[in-house]
Amino acid sequence: MKRVLIVDDDIDVTTLVSKLVERAGYEAVVAKNGVQGMGKVREGKPDLIILDILMPKQSGVRMYRELKTDEPLKDIPVIMLSAIAPKSFFRSQKVLDEFAGQSVPEPEAYIEKPEEPEELVELMKRILG
Amino acid sequence: MTNKSKILIVDDDADTVELLTKRLRAEGYYTSEAYDGEQALRQVGEYQPDLIILDIKMPKIDGYEVCRRLKGSEDTKLIPIIMLTVKRKIPDKVKGLDVGADDYMPKPFDHRELSHRVRYWTAVKMEVEERVREIKRLEQELIKSERLAAIGQTVASLAHYIKNILFGLKGGVYLVNVASKENETDSLKTGREMIERNIGRISDLVLDLLEYSRERELEYENCFPNEIADEVCGLMEARAKEYGVEIIKDFDPSMREVLLDPRGIHRCLLNLVSNAIDACLFDSNKEKKWVVQVRTILQNDGTVRFEVSDNGCGMDEEVKKKLFTNFFSTKEGRGTGLGLLITQKVVQEHGGTITVDSQPGKGSTFTIRLPCTDVSTPGAMAKESHES
Repeated sequence: MKRVLIVDDDIDVTTLVSKLVERAGYEAVVAKNGVQGMGKVREGKPDLIILDILMPKQSGVRMYRELKTDEPLKDIPVIMLSAIAPKSFFRSQKVLDEFAGQSVPEPEAYIEKPEEPEELVELMKRILG
Repeated sequence: MTNKSKILIVDDDADTVELLTKRLRAEGYYTSEAYDGEQALRQVGEYQPDLIILDIKMPKIDGYEVCRRLKGSEDTKLIPIIMLTVKRKIPDKVKGLDVGADDYMPKPFDHRELSHRVRYWTAVKMEVEERVREIKRLEQELIKSERLAAIGQTVASLAHYIKNILFGLKGGVYLVNVASKENETDSLKTGREMIERNIGRISDLVLDLLEYSRERELEYENCFPNEIADEVCGLMEARAKEYGVEIIKDFDPSMREVLLDPRGIHRCLLNLVSNAIDACLFDSNKEKKWVVQVRTILQNDGTVRFEVSDNGCGMDEEVKKKLFTNFFSTKEGRGTGLGLLITQKVVQEHGGTITVDSQPGKGSTFTIRLPCTDVSTPGAMAKESHES
């Protein structure tokens, strides 16, 4: 069974998205922040990561860059799911790219909360097949 | 001429003053006069001239000293000063310019030269005033735009927070719909809980926002800090017990009756104790025996200190830095992120401070220090009123 890692500090998000993931026929794994998220990724590579941005401890921005600059992990598709407007996220990525002198590919998809649950399900199915 | 300039003529020689007055009035200027340095300084304050024509040799305070004082003061330094020099002596001119005079004119003076210099310097004064006004206007604008930026940031954080609540509500409704279509009781329960939780989040948010935005005057009363702390511990007892957290009270027996806003401080302590219990809940080390300690201390200098410490999850530097910012919460969607902000506001209104000491995995201590008036010993009050 394909595995989906959900990284979000909001219990509502993890509850709902886990439910959606399971109903779509996948296995859901939950992490509460970037540090925990990276831990879960290293325990066993998931097939898809659904990642929030603003979280205590380690933010989603940092976790995303860690994933995308790690050779064995960078192919895992990532859906960003955040209440932050996509425009702000992509602008911050550009600034970080310039700062680090390395460019990181864009995520598979970016969904702004509050989204329609169906939208996320469609997207997951399209990515995971 | 619409904008008539005011010129102050200062000379101990009445003839020179009269001559200058006639000449300048004939050209459409307003004039006033002073016959010595002291009078000149007084007149500057009263008359607010746009230009000063100033003689050097005068009784009491001489022209150099008048010039030095006017140019050294923020209020008068922009008024141009033309010094009158008796002879065409170079050292006089140099000294005049040294003390800040803008120009000099030899006596006896040529009428056309006088007219020309006065016109030039009054025009300069108008230009300078215009610039000063412009700078002031820009400053005002900057203050306004900074305030708008602060409001904009708050609104953006608020919008972000509400989006998260909306997400919870939408998700809850979705689950309830799915459940009713497919007769799935499990989803029905989860969905309903989600909706209820988010309704709770909205009411918490509204209450906190009101509390934070309200211009509440502190209501000072004589009260016992230990009683307030005891009341708060009593209120939180049940919740603490439910989660297996022990509340330990350690109140200073020498604590006296003091003057502060008991309701405000009650709210602060309630926030801190509630946070401390949460910190234990979020601790991943489930082997630990969780303890929240509430201490009161009366310092020698009369400061009343409240300490709320826990041995819960603690905070790292990143979290500590954001503690007192809008809508920042680590409580996985349960906190509005305004509690500590409200606490800080009340403490600061008392003229006090709030500090935090924390180590990840070990726990946190929040300390409130309030400078308090001791009302229990009448001697202290009597002494104070005697002194004033």
